[in-house]
Amino acid sequence: MKARILLVEDTPTQAEIAMAMLRADGHEIRHAETAGAALALAMEWKPDAILVDLMLPDFSGIELMRRLKAAQVAAAMIMLTAHGSVKTAVEAMQEGASDFVLKPYSAARLRVTLDNALEKRELRQQLDVAQSQLGRGRFHGFVGASPLMQAIYRTIESVAASRATVFVTGESGTGKELAAEALHRVSPRAEKPFVALNCGAIPRDLLESELFGHVKGAFTGATDNRLGAARAADGGTLFLDEIGEMPAEMQVKLLRFVQTGEVTPLGGTRSEKVDVRLVCATHRDILSEVQAGRFREDLYYRIYVVPIELPPLRLRGEDVVLVSRHLLGLYASEEGKAFSDFDAQAEAAIRAYPWPGNVRQLQNVLRNAVVLHDGALVTREMLPVPLLHEAAPATARAAPQRPGTEAPASRIEPLAVAEKRLILQALEHTGQDVPRAAALLEINPSTIYRKLTAWKQAG
Amino acid sequence: MSALDPTVAGQLAEDLPPDVFRTIIATFEEDLTRLVQELRAAYDSGDQDGYERAAHSLAGAAAAVGAVGLEREARLAMDHRQPEAAITVLPRLVAEAEGALEALHALIH
Repeated sequence: MKARILLVEDTPTQAEIAMAMLRADGHEIRHAETAGAALALAMEWKPDAILVDLMLPDFSGIELMRRLKAAQVAAAMIMLTAHGSVKTAVEAMQEGASDFVLKPYSAARLRVTLDNALEKRELRQQLDVAQSQLGRGRFHGFVGASPLMQAIYRTIESVAASRATVFVTGESGTGKELAAEALHRVSPRAEKPFVALNCGAIPRDLLESELFGHVKGAFTGATDNRLGAARAADGGTLFLDEIGEMPAEMQVKLLRFVQTGEVTPLGGTRSEKVDVRLVCATHRDILSEVQAGRFREDLYYRIYVVPIELPPLRLRGEDVVLVSRHLLGLYASEEGKAFSDFDAQAEAAIRAYPWPGNVRQLQNVLRNAVVLHDGALVTREMLPVPLLHEAAPATARAAPQRPGTEAPASRIEPLAVAEKRLILQALEHTGQDVPRAAALLEINPSTIYRKLTAWKQAG
Repeated sequence: MSALDPTVAGQLAEDLPPDVFRTIIATFEEDLTRLVQELRAAYDSGDQDGYERAAHSLAGAAAAVGAVGLEREARLAMDHRQPEAAITVLPRLVAEAEGALEALHALIH
């Protein structure tokens, strides 16, 4: 095992011998003659192992190990000593030494001790990584410790360093943008821009300009040059959300961009090379879209390189409680409320509900409970009725509704009218903020844009 | 009695390539010269700490190459509780150092 070894030895003859032995085994070696110099070198160079002489000019090897441990130096430490007493050995081990070697030693003895210590250190590190991965309850914005989410975290970490296009799928509200952001943050591009574009939320006429930019005068209203998302993300990550909503003519242009890496702004004549890592997402079954002829097959094969499928909340087991507690803490703090947890019945209701709108729906329910109520615990009564019905015993749920409980006929209105009324109400409530209104209605912003266009056309 | 422990010195000669072994002997020689000078200077100036520190380093260097006689005398010198005066230990120590060097050079050849 080749490693970086720091030798702390003040007697030149001894240092020379140890270095010759280590060099013969192919290790990279640094040498410090004092404990102080060793401490500084260990922090800066981060060796795999440190061989420490017991008696040093400034302070003892035991004290040096104590300070290295306090400084959280992760190297394997081996004490070199001419004093073969049990007391010295025990003291050295207590201060973090993996082993000790009695002077004088042979090359074979040093090799075996060092290899054992390095192997032990590597196993410890592997164990630490495995334990931290197994127990990860959070990952770059995600909250969840379920095996399904652990697999997602591992996939994100595995593909982060690559330039390969990642295709994120999953139901609405499962965290597709969060996955794209996590991928960017873990990648070597983390210091460069992350630019997200929701293809479903932008009117089709504007999409090309939003993606590739435009030059001044390219169209009526283009009063200035616009960079566009692709060039803004140069060096970083470009996230195209709801790519399944992209109009056919834009799919051709995106395909050309993916193939050449070149961007020509709308109205421009010169193309420009950009370096982006592309992450795409959709809540649709993209293969069905290809089969139905709504999504280009050649583009599909270009962008469906590394798929990541985010699991719905109902399959994530205990995560629903973890996410709920996290959101409750967040909203209580934002709204200045005292909520700290759920009572047993509320927790049971949250567990039992299938959450078709996933985390986004959970966010809305909990925000609502926090805003409308007060107390230390969220109770069952603070949760919306549909959620409680789902949590009720199966027999109660299966019971037929008695005619007397139905809404009076005078309050029934056509579905399209109710839909329009609810959307306009939500827009008014949010000050015409489409994404927020969509979140409150638990629908995609693109749905609101489509409806608005349709109503406008219908006069 | 030989100045060298053959198990230590012989093992070193076996473990290391000849040119590296020669470099180590040269370093040992430099150590000896410097440390004996430090030992004498500390003795002359009555610097007990300096005397013991130099003797300790000498013992370490000697042990590393298997110079057992020199190591024994150096450990005597670094132990302030031992009854022999430095004036009697020092000449023996120097003689052991010369003997060890001679034996090491012989090992090279």
